[in-house]
Amino acid sequence: MRRWMSATLAGTAMAMAAMPAQAAWKNYVNKEIGLAFMAPGEVKAGVGNFRGNYAGPRQTIVYRSVEDNIEYKVTVISFIQAQAEGATLLGEREYMFQDGKKTLSDTFARVGSGKDAVYGRKMVVELPDNKGRVSGAFYFTRGRLVALEATVPARGNLASPDPGRFLDSIAFAPSGATPGAVELETPKLE
Amino acid sequence: MRLTALAILAGAALAATAAPATAAWRGYISHPLGFAFAAPGELKVEKGTYGGAVAGARNTVVYRFIDDDIEYKAVVIDVGDKANDAATLLGEAEFLFQENKKVLMDTFGRVDRQYGRKLTVDLPNNAGRTTAAFWFINGRIVSLQATVLPANGDYDTPEMARFVDSITFFTVRADDDAIELPAPPK
Repeated sequence: MRRWMSATLAGTAMAMAAMPAQAAWKNYVNKEIGLAFMAPGEVKAGVGNFRGNYAGPRQTIVYRSVEDNIEYKVTVISFIQAQAEGATLLGEREYMFQDGKKTLSDTFARVGSGKDAVYGRKMVVELPDNKGRVSGAFYFTRGRLVALEATVPARGNLASPDPGRFLDSIAFAPSGATPGAVELETPKLE
Repeated sequence: MRLTALAILAGAALAATAAPATAAWRGYISHPLGFAFAAPGELKVEKGTYGGAVAGARNTVVYRFIDDDIEYKAVVIDVGDKANDAATLLGEAEFLFQENKKVLMDTFGRVDRQYGRKLTVDLPNNAGRTTAAFWFINGRIVSLQATVLPANGDYDTPEMARFVDSITFFTVRADDDAIELPAPPK
């Protein structure tokens, strides 16, 4: 009996050692922008670029982490001077996300409730040439276009629930951040 | 030969008589609202109401036509005081349109540099099928909705798409003889 238990314990320990190390999910918040989300791994801030026919060229704020072969990315684009065009700016961003790709799902998304609700869309697409699968959620609120994207490479776990967990963690109210949330810096744009 | 020709003519005449009378399509334009579209039948201008948690309670202007048991509506909701929430207001209107209905289509709409959404739903209790397009322009939600009523029954008719796809936000693309839409009744 003792020998059998020891063998079981040793087997469990070996199996755990063989599993990829899963980083803890942390809550992140940027009070200046007004968003909070959860992601695993180390989130790093950076600056990127976006260009749309309607939006024109824009610098973007990017928060990115990679964990277990999945890339998690939050992109924020400021359109403070064009808030009334938010519907078309958001539509263009969503359209570009799925353009030329196979759409697996495209549904309504809503963050918050009642008069403070923010409506957007959630989509899952397959990248061309079997390069993987991207889950995206898109919102336009307070003059900013916010996109969450989680990319699983083709050889990764396409059935992982983590992209969904990431997308669904977004909050635009300060109360959406848990106590002890990591404060994100806002990179300076040119 | 003559008999065959006569028979064909008679058949064609009979078919034309048996087909439901459909009105000619006409172009309509509103310069103040900034859009144009085409619809068949007689135009009626009505006032309506719309309500959403984000939008609040709103009055609407409805340009309505009925032809061959298909109802065509252009609905205009002024949300100019909340235009900065354009994306959410449009999303809420689209969401409410399809809520508790069977969605048959939900896809991008792109017209004249505007991005919107096109949806087709089956109405509850076999009340018909509606195809709608939603846009946000100049502080207003603009929705074109075509409903095939059970009395018509041809739920795959191309007339619904013809109506919602007729919208344009560039006045230069309106029909040459487009009729100016009247202001809503006071």
